[in-house]
Order: sequence, then C-alpha cells, then structure tokens
Amino acid sequence: MSRLARLGAFIFATLAILATGVFIIGSKEYLFRSTYQLKAQFENVAGLSEGADVQVGGVHSGTVKSIDLPHKPGEKVTVLMDLDKSTHEIIKQDSVASIETEGMLGNQYVAISFGSAGQGEVKDGQIIGSQPPLLMADMLKKANDILDSSQQAVQNVTVATAHIASVSTKIDNGDGTVGALVNDKQLYNNLEQTTTTLHATMLQAQSGVTDFQENMEALKHNFLLSGFFKRRGYENEADLAANRIDQLPTATPSKVFTYTAKQLFDTREAAKLKNQASLKAAGAFLADNPFGLAVIEVSSGMEGDTKQELVLTEARAMVIREYLVDNFGFDDSQLRTLGMGKQPVVNSGADWGTIKILVFPAGTEIPPPAKPPVSPSDGIASDLPAHASADSTSKP
Amino acid sequence: MNGQAITPSPEMLPAIPGHSSAHPPRPAIPTVGLVNGFFEWFGGLGTFSWRVLRAAVTPPYEWRELIRQLDEVGSQSLPLVALAGAAVGAVLSMEVRSSMARFGATSILPSAVVYSVIQEMGPTITGLVVSGRVGAGIGAELASMKVTEQIDAIEVSAINPYRFLASTRILACILMLPLLTVAADASGVLMGWVAQTLVQPISFHQFIVTGFAGSTLKDFLPPTFKTAVFGLIIGLVACFQGMRTRGGAEGVGRAATNSVVLASLFVILADVVLVKLILVVFQ
Repeated sequence: MSRLARLGAFIFATLAILATGVFIIGSKEYLFRSTYQLKAQFENVAGLSEGADVQVGGVHSGTVKSIDLPHKPGEKVTVLMDLDKSTHEIIKQDSVASIETEGMLGNQYVAISFGSAGQGEVKDGQIIGSQPPLLMADMLKKANDILDSSQQAVQNVTVATAHIASVSTKIDNGDGTVGALVNDKQLYNNLEQTTTTLHATMLQAQSGVTDFQENMEALKHNFLLSGFFKRRGYENEADLAANRIDQLPTATPSKVFTYTAKQLFDTREAAKLKNQASLKAAGAFLADNPFGLAVIEVSSGMEGDTKQELVLTEARAMVIREYLVDNFGFDDSQLRTLGMGKQPVVNSGADWGTIKILVFPAGTEIPPPAKPPVSPSDGIASDLPAHASADSTSKP
Repeated sequence: MNGQAITPSPEMLPAIPGHSSAHPPRPAIPTVGLVNGFFEWFGGLGTFSWRVLRAAVTPPYEWRELIRQLDEVGSQSLPLVALAGAAVGAVLSMEVRSSMARFGATSILPSAVVYSVIQEMGPTITGLVVSGRVGAGIGAELASMKVTEQIDAIEVSAINPYRFLASTRILACILMLPLLTVAADASGVLMGWVAQTLVQPISFHQFIVTGFAGSTLKDFLPPTFKTAVFGLIIGLVACFQGMRTRGGAEGVGRAATNSVVLASLFVILADVVLVKLILVVFQ
C-alpha cells in the first residue's frame, strides 16, 4: 500500500467514525429532522440540564434546547424544547409538561402529556402548562412529617392500650359498675328476676287494656254518655274506614242520587240522620235493580277544619250506608263509602255539604280500599275488610 | 531524565542559523543562569514559532513533504493510539463497574464509560502517546539533521528549513491529532462495551444508546478538536528542540528526550486550560 493510500484510508476511516459520532448525538438532538419548539415554565427545574430528553407518552421525542433563568424575581424558569414534528398531532393546548427522574438516581427528563382530542394544536414557540417536579427534598420532608405523625399515633395507641389494660384489670377485679356486672352473679340473678316480673306485669297490663275497652263500650251505651254519641251519629271511629274506598271507579255511573246535607242531617257538624225517608228512593232503587257497585260520596262545605270535615264526611257516608243496609235488601259488600272532606260548594243551599249515591252497572271493578289511616286502631279495623274486598274482586 | 529536561540549560538555546555565534558566554551563577535560561527558552520558542508561521503561510507550499508527515504522524500512529484507547476503555469499564456496583448504579455504566473516554481519556491518551512516538521521532530526526549540518545544507540550497522541515511536521500534528483522537475514542468505547458485555451481556446498540443518552454535540466535538492544540504543542516543541540541538550523538539523544518530556508536560498543562475554556465557552 502506497503512503498516500494508507494516509487516505486512515483519514477516511477516522472521519467516518467522527461522522457516525456526530450523527448518533445529532439524531438525539434532532439536528437532522424537522422540529418545532415549545416552552414550559417551572418554579424549579430540579437539576434538569440542556440536552435532556423530552418524552411524549414515554417515547423520546425531543431534547431540551435551553434553560433560561428569569430576569426578575417572581418569574419562572423557562425551558425551551425542540420537539419532533411527529408529536405535533398529539400535543395540544392542554398538554402539560412535567420534570421526571429516571429511577432514583437517573437523569432528569421532561415528560409531556397527550392533549385532549377537542383541543387546538400548539403553535411553534408556545408556552404550555407545567407541573412542578417532585423534589427529593420535598419527598423526604413529607416522609418525615408522616413518620412524626405516625409516631404520635403509635404513642396515642400505646396510651389507649394502657387505658384499656387498666380498665380490663378493673373489670376483672370486679371494680366499678361493669366489673360488678361481669363478676357479680347476684346482679345477674336480680336482673333475671326483674325481667320475669316485668313479663308478668305486661300480661296484667294487657288484660287491663281489654277490660278498659269493654268498660268504654259499656260507657258509650250508658245513658249519661249515649246522648253525645247519638248526636254525633256514630259510635266507633274505627268503623268509618270499614267500607271506605280511595277514589271513584272510572266507569260512568248508571244512576246518581244527589242530596244536600241539610236535607238529610240534623246539624251542620253532626252525622245524625234526620229525614231518612228521603233516602227511600235510593234504597228502593238499589234493592230492585242489579248493580255492580254503589258509592256513597259525601263532601262538606268549605267551612271548618279540613281534618275534622274529612272525618265528618266519612262518618256521614257510613251512617247513610248503615241506614240503607239496615232498611233495604241488597248485597251490602257492593255498597262503599267515600268521604271527600271539604269541597267547593257548587249550588246554594249545599253549604253543609253534598251527598251523592252513585250506582255503577254490573261488572264495574271495585276500586282498592282506602289506605290505612294514621291512627293504629283505625288501621287494624280497616285491614280485615280490605283483604275481604280484595278477595271478592279476584273471584268474580 | 534529569533537571535539564524540565528547566532547559543555557546551551539548549535555539540554534538559529546566523545567530548562534552572536551569544556571548554566560556568567557562571547557577540560579541566575537557570531563571535566565528558562526565559530564554521561551523567548527562543516564540521567535521560532514566528519564523515557522511566516514560512508556513507564504508560498511555495511543501505538499509532498506534508503528505509524508501526515502519514508519519497519522496513519503510522494509528495502531498505537487505537491500542492505548482500547486499553483505557477496558480499564474504565472494569473500574467504573466495581465502584458503581457499590451504589447499585451499574445501569449508568455505559454513560460513565462513554463520557470518560470521549471527554477526557481519549484526547489525553492520544496526546501523550503521540507526543511520545512523534515527539521523539521529530526531535531525534531534526537533531541528527542539525548536528550533521544537513539543515545548513538545505538552507544553502535555497530551501527554507522552517517551511520544509518544521511547518510541515507541525501542521501534520495539528491535523492528525483530532483524527487519532476519534480513533482512540472509538476503540475505547468498543473495548468498554466488550469488557462490559463479558461480565453482564448488553447489546452494542443498547450500550451506545444508553451511553450517549443526554449527550449533545457540545460533549463530543470540543474535546475532540481541542487535541489540535495538543498537536500544535507536540509539533512545535519537538521541532524547536530538534533544530536547536548542539553537540554530537549526545545532543541528539538529549533533544529526543527533551522533546518527549516537554511535549507531554505541556500537553497535560494545556489540557487543564482547555478543559476550563471549553466549560466556560460551551456550557
């Protein structure tokens, strides 16, 4: 090999190696690819250096070109990044740059998050959002705080355990109320005895209540008090709900009898019938013609307390029903009551209220009974017929 | 090696043709003579540098001699430099592994090896090896030409010895040192990888990727091209020492020794300044 050829080979080989080196490093710096620039601002760059990686979705996609300290206090450190053009479609206006560390001892790099689909594209040289880096010192400080508080917690637990130990020792020794309860057999025996006695007392109280009910029934028929019930028109409030329904059937009535309360009742507030004869037409119609359902619908005028008036209308409907059932022969399970309470007065002379007897043709479905009223005694009373009526409807 | 090598004695003064007889005898006071000699050496070097520079930039150019010197300095030194670089790479890989393993940070070994080789070890080793091989060669060659009065003969035949002998050699050193450094770096990194993969297998590609992670051209090019300064120092010192030789065979030997010692010393000293300069300018 001639001297010149040898020299040429040497120079060519070393320049080739040099070029390779330049390309290896240059490709990392994106010197030979089209790039665009982005900026991010941080309070602290945690030792990030120029030439550090920029990763988008964990893929090396650029380098940190420069890191500039601010010119004034209060401003932030600006990191200028060269990014590969291919990331332009991923990084959007809402992408966030953060400084991360590769492992515990590794290099710092900038990670940029993907943008949302709806956001606009970033411009060359734009400043994107940033997230402060996780500093080792901060982490250690937090860990220290956590250790402090957990130490405190452990101390508290130790104190609490000591208390529990002291308390359980006392219980074991029979000191105090709980100790006595746990350790004193006598106390347990007393308690059992008390319970037994209490049970007997309860039984006695129950029979007492039954007696009281009987007494009350007797009282109602006593001549001194019977006047009150007579004037009121009915004896037992529990009966009010016996044949009550919640609403009118949807079918059209085949016959309607309308009365005013003044025609039928003694006083404005009472449910005592006065001119029973007026009901004869209705009673005769029910007795002579087959029907599916008849409803006695009672409403009162606008005067008086709403709740009381509702009870009054229910009572009046019941009283009318009792009269019709007692004096005319028909299937009384088909006759129902509906107290409407206060309703607007339609025609004059009906300010005490209105009574309608609506007769529905055969085949009309009987509406469900009214919901159990608030009072428990009423509830028990209305429960049984409710079931009965439900049975009658399901077996036509 | 003796004291004369580092602080040149008065008789090592530049043997500038036409001026050698102009120096009067020196007073025999050792300390004054040493200090005086030290400054005279630098003065002579400055004068020599100026003459070489003036001769180098003016035509005619000695292309043929330059190519001969490029081959002598460059391609002839390649095996030596590559071997030295490879040894350094392997040694670094082993050393760094043992120290990094203590911190459980062997994963940064490629970076450590690549950085060490490219930033410092490659350039320095190349400078020292070349100053040993080429410095001694130039020093001895020119010194023997000087003592056998061949340089005078060249001058008589209307050829400027500064242009023909000195400038070609110095330029060859300046041009070849960076290329030799690249070769040393390459063999160092390669052997670093071999030494690494023998202990803990890793692909060459992965080694290169992790080794160059986070590096920029600033980390690669300035350390490589600073060796041109090493080349200048080696060529200049060796030519200067060779062309100012006096005496017979003893003078030739002294010139060769002084060339190597002073060139190596100045290469290392210059490296201190250059590293600082690169850090200031490029970071």
